[in-house]
Amino acid sequence: MKDRIFRDILPNVSKPARYTGNEVNMIKKEWDHSRIKMAFAFPDVYEVGMSHVGSKILYGLINEETEHLMERVYAPWPDMEREMRQHRIPLFSLESFIPLPEFDLLGFTLQYELAITNVLNMLDMAGIPVWSRDRGEDYPLVIAGGPVVFNPEPYADFFDLFLIGDGEEVLPEFMDCCWENRHLPKQERLLKLAALEGVYLPSFYRVEYQEDGKLKQMTPRLESLPGTIRKRVVRDLDQAYFPERPVLPYMNIVHDRAVLEVMRGCQRGCRFCHAGMVYRPVRERSIETLQRQADRQLANTGYDEISLTSLSTLDYSGVDKLVKDLVETYQHQGTGVSLPSLRVDAFSIELANEVQKVRKTTLTLAPEAGTQRLRDSINKNVSEEQLLEAVKAAFQSGWLSIKLYFMIGLPGETEEDLLGILDLLEKVRALGDQYARRKVEIRASIASFVPKAHTPFQWQAQSSIQELEQKRKLLTARKMRRIKLSFHDSKTSYLEGVLSRGDRRLSLPIFAAWQKGCKFDGWSEYFNFAYWLEAFQEAAIDTEFYTTRFRSYDEVLPWDFIDIGVSKDFLQTENEKAALGVITEDCRWQECNDCGICPAFEVELDIKEEVQG
Amino acid sequence: MRVRMEYRVGNNLKFLGNLDMINLMSRVLRRARTPFALSEGFNPHIKLSLGTVLPVGVWGEREYLDLELAEEIEPTVLVEQLNRVLPSDMEIKRCIKVDEKQPALMKTINAASYSFILESNDDYLALPERIMGEEQLLVKSRGKQKGVDKDLRPGIYKITVLPQEESVIIKIWVNVGEPVNVRYDELRDLLVAQGVKPEAIVNIFRSGNYIRIGTDFYSPLEKVS
Repeated sequence: MKDRIFRDILPNVSKPARYTGNEVNMIKKEWDHSRIKMAFAFPDVYEVGMSHVGSKILYGLINEETEHLMERVYAPWPDMEREMRQHRIPLFSLESFIPLPEFDLLGFTLQYELAITNVLNMLDMAGIPVWSRDRGEDYPLVIAGGPVVFNPEPYADFFDLFLIGDGEEVLPEFMDCCWENRHLPKQERLLKLAALEGVYLPSFYRVEYQEDGKLKQMTPRLESLPGTIRKRVVRDLDQAYFPERPVLPYMNIVHDRAVLEVMRGCQRGCRFCHAGMVYRPVRERSIETLQRQADRQLANTGYDEISLTSLSTLDYSGVDKLVKDLVETYQHQGTGVSLPSLRVDAFSIELANEVQKVRKTTLTLAPEAGTQRLRDSINKNVSEEQLLEAVKAAFQSGWLSIKLYFMIGLPGETEEDLLGILDLLEKVRALGDQYARRKVEIRASIASFVPKAHTPFQWQAQSSIQELEQKRKLLTARKMRRIKLSFHDSKTSYLEGVLSRGDRRLSLPIFAAWQKGCKFDGWSEYFNFAYWLEAFQEAAIDTEFYTTRFRSYDEVLPWDFIDIGVSKDFLQTENEKAALGVITEDCRWQECNDCGICPAFEVELDIKEEVQG
Repeated sequence: MRVRMEYRVGNNLKFLGNLDMINLMSRVLRRARTPFALSEGFNPHIKLSLGTVLPVGVWGEREYLDLELAEEIEPTVLVEQLNRVLPSDMEIKRCIKVDEKQPALMKTINAASYSFILESNDDYLALPERIMGEEQLLVKSRGKQKGVDKDLRPGIYKITVLPQEESVIIKIWVNVGEPVNVRYDELRDLLVAQGVKPEAIVNIFRSGNYIRIGTDFYSPLEKVS
């Protein structure tokens, strides 16, 4: 098959290096000598999927440390899809060029709600039925994990099983269980797997709705199945597996550099933030571990840049020492350090300057809201003073370009808050005029707030498309020199909103949208909102039920059965405090806020270095 | 210290672009801990220059690069170190020390040969004479002036046909750069126009890059003053 693909197909497609495999550090295990054969599918194009850290972890872990095998597959770009369908070539893995139906297990990672149409398309390209009920004994089990599956319900009818929480914690034992029970019929195998903690078997749960359309209850069909599914948590991140020989792509990918995951979780407690709630508690790696990983990754890849990644890298207790050490160790080889995002304070700038010695980038800060009142309400604990201090320090030390992230459509937002964004941008520019060496460029990226499951704002209404467009008009009305605003597409945000708090009834419109031709919905050139609207209409789904509607605290939410460790009481209190504009401090410097994670999961904050709050 | 290397880029790597190849080489040098020289400035980069661009879709039997080193190193040692970390379908074949004042590879390479592997029972033995006997060989340009008629004849120096067990290799020596830059895809169009069936062409590789002086073709490793 490989010869045919090389000869007849790849010369006709864009970026053929996406499909050739055989990269440096690729692991191709002996097919016949491996136990469970799993294809790990990333439902987006190669250069996006190859940049994903979680995939690198699972790929290395399964291939290096277990008897099982894992091969990769990404969504073919539409030109490649056309060629493959025309030549009747099924979707195949990059390592062995083996069609997906020959694997025992096909695992998708869902990083983004709108990737679901690509999942269906990839299944179809592999000749695998998209509905789980249509897949008999002869097909691989189709499973999913990743941040999106903390509310798996909209996708429940497509997958056999979901793995909830930290993947490296559950996948090895999941695959062991697949192996031990490989001779059992599918239904029995599914039940064995569903007995593992963090594994959800959607087809064995009955969902009932009230007359008003709200969820009534969700019950397991068998007594042996749990009523709630507890997420899985890596307790000791410092000891956890991390790849030191990541696959090195031949073509340029989105994040083309060595990566260190300095910590997992974040408890700043921003009330809109999904990751900040579902990935608690904060677990750090030690500086020694990270230095060793940096050294080995660089030696095994030859990358000339190393990125410190996490939800909030500047909050890593060892960040100052680690950055300085890395810069000092690798500077002479022309190898730089990069920080993906910065906290809004002067310390961040100081550290960024450290990094600047090697490589120059745009400075990125995220105040998220335009006024102090609204920033307090969303618990983004940054004062205007801090922000302007940081910006001033940045201009003084030579930065000429600053990018700021904001959100519109936040709960309780008023016109004053929106205009506050513009005022803040003008203040930033004025500081640039005063302190920078040349004319500065200020850019603001403005996203639309999408309420997410498991956050304090899970009960809140999302702005309608019309409201978002009005807000946008208000913001673009003021003419501002050297300040550029860019907006996320409001229709895309709206659709994200439908799916992120959706239930099982959405599987029909998802299927219909895909059948109409929706795929690569995260890519503006392929996003077709009209098809989605048609699909919802045909399924008699009122999208406002999921988006612009306020939910009451006593409503049963579709994701309530997923236990993330943070209690619903805590989320409710946080939502109340938002309305009052009362902040909640980070529990690293303050007393415990009783979010619930530590006692519920018998875990603890794992902070490695002494830091000043 | 400057070195010049001859290397092979195999079939598995034929879909890499030129920038991909530069990245690949830079990473190979870092993995091998080669004492490369870095440029000055904010964005230091390895002083590495590849010969003429190997087109996407074509593999290369003899490609060339120049590299600046910060320390003296025995070329044979360097070759061994690099081959240990190169992707499986690549190989450094030769390496010599060259004078730092040597002109850049890009400027000295002025000819190349492309080899077309044909799977066919047809007899192509008369093809070279027929092509070389033409006054003019017009194809549609695939280069900068896309679609414009282009005469390849003055850029074609030599053609050989080498029958294999189940295939035939047609090797064509062509000019690179001014006055007529002959591209591999234009050569393919030419072969098709001369009666070769497109589906018979199963693979294409660049078999060499040369410094042409008169009717002689020298390897860039041979002609260093």
